[in-house]
Amino acid sequence: MSGRPRKAADGIWLRGLVVWALLLALLGASLVAAYAVPAPWTAAINFGIAATQAGLVALLFMRLDRADALVRLAAACGLFWLAILFVLTLTDTLSRLANS
Amino acid sequence: MSAGGDLLDETAARHLREPWDQLRLAEGRAFALQRAGATFGIWIFIASEVLFFGALFLLYTAMRLEHAADFAAAARETNIVYGTLNTALLLTSGLCAAIASQASEREGLRRLTLWCLALTAGLGLAFMVVKGLEYREDIERHLVPGAGFALKERATQLFFGFYWLSTAIHAIHLSIGIGLVLRLIWKEWRAPGFLFESPQVEVAMLYWGFVDMIWIVLYPMLYLDGRGG
Repeated sequence: MSGRPRKAADGIWLRGLVVWALLLALLGASLVAAYAVPAPWTAAINFGIAATQAGLVALLFMRLDRADALVRLAAACGLFWLAILFVLTLTDTLSRLANS
Repeated sequence: MSAGGDLLDETAARHLREPWDQLRLAEGRAFALQRAGATFGIWIFIASEVLFFGALFLLYTAMRLEHAADFAAAARETNIVYGTLNTALLLTSGLCAAIASQASEREGLRRLTLWCLALTAGLGLAFMVVKGLEYREDIERHLVPGAGFALKERATQLFFGFYWLSTAIHAIHLSIGIGLVLRLIWKEWRAPGFLFESPQVEVAMLYWGFVDMIWIVLYPMLYLDGRGG
């Protein structure tokens, strides 16, 4: 009977530690990229790494991978409205920069 | 064989609140619906917070696009050791939060849940200490926008305005998270068995995960630009 909680705990730890190791590895990679990768690419790489880390946290730590459809829809809506915000504003900013 | 049935009934009775207790559903089903509602609700809140921070991040994006060179010069002045250390602390706290949340849903893992909650709060507090040290250093180096600002390019003040604003707002959110976690530990101490299957643990841990995600995006914005790549 005491074996079951122990095995459950080990399973939880294992999954968690794998994700944590990945997150720290990505952190290290972004640090290296900031110093080693030539200028136009560092921002793309580092924000791409950040987006990947955020995705890992959302899917695996915050358990969106096992959540029901309604919860995933709520999470997706946040990103959807964020996308509208960014796209509409940056059309202005980027076209001003392009035309200046 | 397991005490799951009895324990669940006590748990449902402990946590059921309106309107779930008045819908004339079986307790087990009502409690399952309440838990699902709590998870759904916190994700809606998180979506709204995504927009709140999103506006701030959009500000950074627009300013950086317009003043790329000055922003790179300013970002070089942030303390990358403190920043990276803080990121590692928060990522580890996120691990502990995720484990606490899952452990609270299984029987027999009460100690694990409590330890992970305590570690989560402890790592959050460690973050705040490092942030305080970093703030002190920034102030000594005159990196506060206004008269006497250390850097001469004008848009570097915009960067540091964003730096102070975004890190302060993040720190406020983190403090709320620490408070939520400490409150859960206190409630368990007052009434042992409170944490088991409590929707409040899931809600607090999801909030924590979100605060973690904010910092994950803030880190490259504040620390990784202009490092000479």
